[in-house]
Amino acid sequence: MDSILKFKDIDSKLLTHLNACVKCGLCADSCMFYKKFSDPDYIPASKVALVSSIYRRYNTLSGRLIPSLVGAEKMSQEMAERMVDLLFGACTMCGRCVKHCSIGVDIAFVVRKGREMLAEMGLVPSTLQSTVDAAVNTGNNMGIPEDEFVGTISWMEEELRDELNDQNASIPLNQKGKRVFYTLNPREPKFFPLSISAMAKIFYAAGESWTLSSKYYDVTNYGFFNGNKREAALIAKNLHDEVIGLNSALLVLGECGHGSRANRWEAPNYLCKEYEFDMTTAVELTSSYIREGKIKLDPTLNKEAVTIHDPCNLVRNGGLLQEIRFVVNSSAQNVTEMTPCGNDNYCCGGGGGLLAMSEYNDRRVGAGEIKADQIRKSGAKVVVTPCHNCVDQLTQLNHTYKLGVKIKTIAELVADAIIIEKT
Amino acid sequence: MDIFRLLAAAAFIFCLSSLVYQMTKLLIAGNKRDFSKPSGSEKDGIVYSFTGAMSPFEKESAYLHLPTYIAGLLFHFGVFLSFPVLLLMIIFPKILFISQYLTASISLFLLISSFSGLFILVKRIVKRDIRAISGADDYISNGLTTFSLLMSSIALLTETLVPLYFVVYSVLLVWVPIGKTRHLIYFFFARYHLGRFYGRRNSWPQKKVSNG
Repeated sequence: MDSILKFKDIDSKLLTHLNACVKCGLCADSCMFYKKFSDPDYIPASKVALVSSIYRRYNTLSGRLIPSLVGAEKMSQEMAERMVDLLFGACTMCGRCVKHCSIGVDIAFVVRKGREMLAEMGLVPSTLQSTVDAAVNTGNNMGIPEDEFVGTISWMEEELRDELNDQNASIPLNQKGKRVFYTLNPREPKFFPLSISAMAKIFYAAGESWTLSSKYYDVTNYGFFNGNKREAALIAKNLHDEVIGLNSALLVLGECGHGSRANRWEAPNYLCKEYEFDMTTAVELTSSYIREGKIKLDPTLNKEAVTIHDPCNLVRNGGLLQEIRFVVNSSAQNVTEMTPCGNDNYCCGGGGGLLAMSEYNDRRVGAGEIKADQIRKSGAKVVVTPCHNCVDQLTQLNHTYKLGVKIKTIAELVADAIIIEKT
Repeated sequence: MDIFRLLAAAAFIFCLSSLVYQMTKLLIAGNKRDFSKPSGSEKDGIVYSFTGAMSPFEKESAYLHLPTYIAGLLFHFGVFLSFPVLLLMIIFPKILFISQYLTASISLFLLISSFSGLFILVKRIVKRDIRAISGADDYISNGLTTFSLLMSSIALLTETLVPLYFVVYSVLLVWVPIGKTRHLIYFFFARYHLGRFYGRRNSWPQKKVSNG
């Protein structure tokens, strides 16, 4: 407990962001939770204050001598409960407030540090923890047994062969020495298997050498959300070691925002090493196929108006704003943007592990009304997003707010526009 | 008079050395090594963080709150002006009074700046949600800075109030490294770290959304 409150191993970045907020409150309008519920507790500065007040109380002279004057607070049961509710249940760490902060406080980073404190104290919501436990114990966050996964892949392979009218079309499993090691969000084999065959169709058209692993195919890492770095590192290591074991040169991160972020940007730091293989996202790989002429697309095959939902971890926090648009614009005839869009786009509401925490369902779907309004105003009939968690949340919003739109991944959109040239 | 000047000088030295200490702590803490492979330039991100990203057109905290943004700018320009004024008042008090026109101009700007600070303080008190997230430090820091600017403005025109001016500034200078006014240094570090973060990921400099 002492090491948690003492912020051992603090670096310049954390020290800075714990001390930089002036509580101007101007971040309020950038947060979907505050905008929807108008609760001052949801103001991002208020969430930063929870963590920084603990830091001040146990780590500064002024915090010990004059705590009430400098906003320093003791860790108490009540404080811990407040932190759980606000840091886990009222923040998706989307980082929209960060970009708009008048100072430049990395609020999402501070919230994540707060979650790490709560994880050390054993206060991770049990629903979120069970998702992490499933990944640690079974290799995927939904606990899908290996034979069930293999069965689904086999079924999708049959579908692919029928669609392409080619008995040689395949979805390779556990093949060594393939250039690409592809990963999935377990929601795909469980609920959306067609997105697997969509990506397989793209690989087929591009003539890619690729494989899936039947054991460690899960791109997600909920250890990024629960704040337990040891568990995050274990999940990351499983995937890393599997890529090495299958001797692939390129790890392709399937359409999952946080999974891409956790593997691309966080995992090397969890494991304290530079990876031996390259990593890219499915969007970037698809984009490279288009640019290099490896796949040919006919955007007129996607006639309905399409709008893009920008996953926070891929766009604002991942720099893929233009890559996503390049692929979508190459695949659809009529693309319309949400307002705001790109780095300013709102989170769908399902990020930060909220989809896994059923106790916050009402709050999550309520905050998502902002996204629902954006979609409605765009006039689009199809919402495309390269993130399966976003797909889940958008599907719920579609139902709750009666939007009447189709929700698609980018692979599905591209697969619908692809022209297969038979030689 | 000399005692008050000495008091202010001592407070200034305390403030400066405390801020240097905090800065040194930040520098010694250092950056953790990032093992991820960059897809953008940290340097470009940092430059953008201090330039384009500060544009009022890029931040909701500015363009959705223009009166507060403008008041904030005036308030901060006043603060930055008030410190050299204080130093001159301590070391070369006669210089400021060489030109009546100059003295009056500075005084007027500091007065406007203090009213800007007052506007922000009143907003904090009046608006329910900002009041709800505010603590003693928020009121002390803003109130003290605002009052100091006002005293600065008046003292430039009324020599008899200079001792009081030094006392007020002494209190402010002691508070600066303790209260949230210390963002004076953390602001720059925050922009630096944010620029590194977004720059490495190729999110900054901000890209345009274009069709095609």
